[in-house]
Amino acid sequence: MSVVLAILWKDLVTEWRSRDRVVAMAVFSFLVVLVLHFALPARDAAEARRLAPGLLWVAYVFAALLGLNRAFALELENEALSGLALAPADRGWVFLGKAAANFVILGAVQAATAVVFALFFAVDLWAVAAPLAGVVALGSLGVCAVGTLFGAVAVRTRYREVMLPLLLLPLLVPVLLPAVDATAGLLETGTLRWPPVQLLLVIDAVFGIVSFVSFEYVLDE
Amino acid sequence: MTALAAGGSPADRIAARLRAPTGWLLALLAAAWLASVARAPEDSLQGVVQKILYVHPPLAFAAYLGFVLTAVGGALFLWRRDEGWDRLARSAAEVGVLFCTLMIVTGPIWARGTWGRWWSWDARLTVTLLLWFLYLAYLLLRGFTEGSERGARFAAVYGLVGVPVIVLNYFAIDLSGGRAIHPENLQRGSLGAGMGLPFLLGVLSTLAAFFHLLARRIEVEGMRARLAERTQGMRGEEGRWAT
Repeated sequence: MSVVLAILWKDLVTEWRSRDRVVAMAVFSFLVVLVLHFALPARDAAEARRLAPGLLWVAYVFAALLGLNRAFALELENEALSGLALAPADRGWVFLGKAAANFVILGAVQAATAVVFALFFAVDLWAVAAPLAGVVALGSLGVCAVGTLFGAVAVRTRYREVMLPLLLLPLLVPVLLPAVDATAGLLETGTLRWPPVQLLLVIDAVFGIVSFVSFEYVLDE
Repeated sequence: MTALAAGGSPADRIAARLRAPTGWLLALLAAAWLASVARAPEDSLQGVVQKILYVHPPLAFAAYLGFVLTAVGGALFLWRRDEGWDRLARSAAEVGVLFCTLMIVTGPIWARGTWGRWWSWDARLTVTLLLWFLYLAYLLLRGFTEGSERGARFAAVYGLVGVPVIVLNYFAIDLSGGRAIHPENLQRGSLGAGMGLPFLLGVLSTLAAFFHLLARRIEVEGMRARLAERTQGMRGEEGRWAT
């Protein structure tokens, strides 16, 4: 457990000192929102509410892909990845530490993006802020679980920036569908629909366990 | 040549044994299949396009079998660290993607004739399309990873994570209201008179084609591995002479 906290702390401190990743992710995701606003202009409030859930999650997933690509690129310098592999603990704990750091950083970017999104699309997200944060957190758990696992894979392939989206997007469809569904329910009625939330919980559990176990085979030098 | 082709692992041995019989079986079955499809009665409602039934579901069975074998081969590789199982996983993925592509091509041709449009976001179609992307990514991952052992490990993990995703996709698409428009699985007696035999022959010859291609692909991978070993050995010799 101390390994998890140590890696989480190390990643957050490094990020706090440079703030490279969080700034790049946030600016990128604002740009995505801006581009989506021009690509799919909402003519009235009802249309904006209809489009909002899907567009918001597109921005979130793109930001996550950008951040996850960097999560292990940093570890390549000075052979830090070998250091992580040699940590005197089960590699699953190393995975949990990295995934938790990704989750925190992604969460900060998502909160900032939500504010910009609400302004651009004139959607009132504040009224459902608490349940929306819950849905976004559940979705991000799944994204960060497989994202961290395959971030570690993609970073040691050629064309790594290209490889991660190709690997991850087909895997993220089962996360995205219920996440968008739950967000749409929140924006339409203001109440949380349970079936998508239940499915998200199941997906998070499956992705979490599978990634925890398989990280052993990914970090192997 | 024979020395190169012979592989030491169980997967290589099975492949070497399967190649010739599946080839003969394929030649015989395919001829019978073509004849029976030509003689099969035309569907009274759908017309000639219904005959895709004798091709499309068999391709689907072969594609799914390929993806199952990819996961099994990957799991066995991670467990036993025997490169032969990795050759099975890689070859099954390639052959599976080939059959899946053919299935995705033949399906819309039938759909255009029967539904009046090429594609529908039906749960089964969507899951299959995602499956196709998943295994394309698998093959790309293999192509982009340097070092055979590392590539095999990464691909095995990806192939294994893909399995629960297939199941989860069904639930997710069902939840988001994917309409079920794809015909249900065949049941006993659901085929018209004279349609059972060409369908059965279709399934058998597609499976023969699948195993024949798989066996050949595994053999080629085995030869490649042997060749790489030999060239490495020769380089080692040169290195010794140079010093």
